[in-house]
Amino acid sequence: MAKLCTGEELPGKLFVVEGIDGSGKSTQLDLLRKWLVATGYCVAFSEWNSSSLVSTTTKRGKKRQLLTPTTFCLMHAVDFSHRMQQQVIPALKAGAIVLADRYIYTAFARDAARGVDPEWVRKIYAFAPIPTVALYFRVPLEESLRRIITGRPSLKYYEAGMDLGLSDDTLESYRIFQARIQREYEQLVTEYGLVVVDATLPIVNQQDIVRSIIRPHLEGALRAESNAWRNVLSAEHLSGHYLEGLVGGREAQ
Amino acid sequence: MKVRFYGKGLPGISDTQYPGKLITMEGPDGVGRSTQIALVREYLEASGYAVSSTGLKRSELASAGIQEAKQGHTMDPLTMSLFYAADFADRLEREIIPALRAGFVVLTDRYVYSLIARAEVRGLDPAWIRSIYGFALVPDAILYLRCDLEHLVPRVLNARGFDYWESGMDFMGYRDFYQSYLAYQQRMLDTFDALGKEFGFRDIDARLSIEEVFAQLRVAVEDSVGDLRPTVS
Repeated sequence: MAKLCTGEELPGKLFVVEGIDGSGKSTQLDLLRKWLVATGYCVAFSEWNSSSLVSTTTKRGKKRQLLTPTTFCLMHAVDFSHRMQQQVIPALKAGAIVLADRYIYTAFARDAARGVDPEWVRKIYAFAPIPTVALYFRVPLEESLRRIITGRPSLKYYEAGMDLGLSDDTLESYRIFQARIQREYEQLVTEYGLVVVDATLPIVNQQDIVRSIIRPHLEGALRAESNAWRNVLSAEHLSGHYLEGLVGGREAQ
Repeated sequence: MKVRFYGKGLPGISDTQYPGKLITMEGPDGVGRSTQIALVREYLEASGYAVSSTGLKRSELASAGIQEAKQGHTMDPLTMSLFYAADFADRLEREIIPALRAGFVVLTDRYVYSLIARAEVRGLDPAWIRSIYGFALVPDAILYLRCDLEHLVPRVLNARGFDYWESGMDFMGYRDFYQSYLAYQQRMLDTFDALGKEFGFRDIDARLSIEEVFAQLRVAVEDSVGDLRPTVS
């Protein structure tokens, strides 16, 4: 069950993943989604900072470096609120499984690392539905940095925490900023009962662990005939090449 | 002015005193706030005060985004409240506080009270919306242009007609703009009454003519800015 902040229980299930950049949480969530879809569940997905409503404002703020810790925090809250009202809460009411790549704990960790009052941030997000399970992918800082630095061309200004004036060197600033975020996360683990996954294990082993954590919560979740067209293809001996591009991007990935 | 916040304030701000003054003007939609602010601003500048003025949705950060979102009518009340909070925070940090530090008189067309009223009327938790604005500065004066529907309707009709959001069409459930406007604005007026007691509004009778309203405002503004002017002995 996921719960609204009012205590009202919703029939859907909300599973969220958290962790510092380079912890591998998105990879694990993606594998989890593919498994759930293949098993026949109705799965909705929502990603941090992805609402179209605020994208022009956030881009503007980043490009012109207008964002302060307070406005940055509020813009993420606008994004989050919009996704909750439009995607997540309706899906949970319908009984679907909702997977969230980052959730309120990202705000709690990052905004606190930026010096915003932690209590104020918690109050802002008081409207957030309470997840069924929140997973925290724990990884040593050096390991996550190694993954990020080899995998990406360059760090962006806010991503590296350059707005905080921690260091003139982008990489050093990023390191200090990530270390702060990690410290905040470790406190959130106990405060909110985040379920810790060892993110240094091989990907396959992690996914086994993730599935075993999620499995007991699946009972009663809405099922969808998402692959019903496959039955038509095999019954009618069709290849389905006109279906390419029609099938939702997520499933086709 | 003495630096006080409604809650914990802003990260990185530990000032206790600003040489400037913060005067906020509140009142229902269409009451004539912008006209009066234009008059007060000119009056103050003519008297030698440096004035800065700001109003909702004028932030460099969030103005275009809010306009765009309102065109689409896709915003629920919660998201809208947070978007306005971001707009307000941007203006407070990057316009209002720097101007106050520099000794300006800052006149604001609306302040957090309108935002709190809109959120409350739309059913959001009153304690929640107040906690969001814990970072807002307590102004030197909150001048409230008090009016009633009877006097507001003709002004709105003369000016620009009924606006979708100012009529509460996003949530009131009326099909007819006029009915929706009346019901929504009456709720807003009632909410402003309660906020006036809570936050200490100074009432200006805005049912009167522009000149009479301005005369009251001049007295109120002088009360606030008076001590900025060194007395000549």
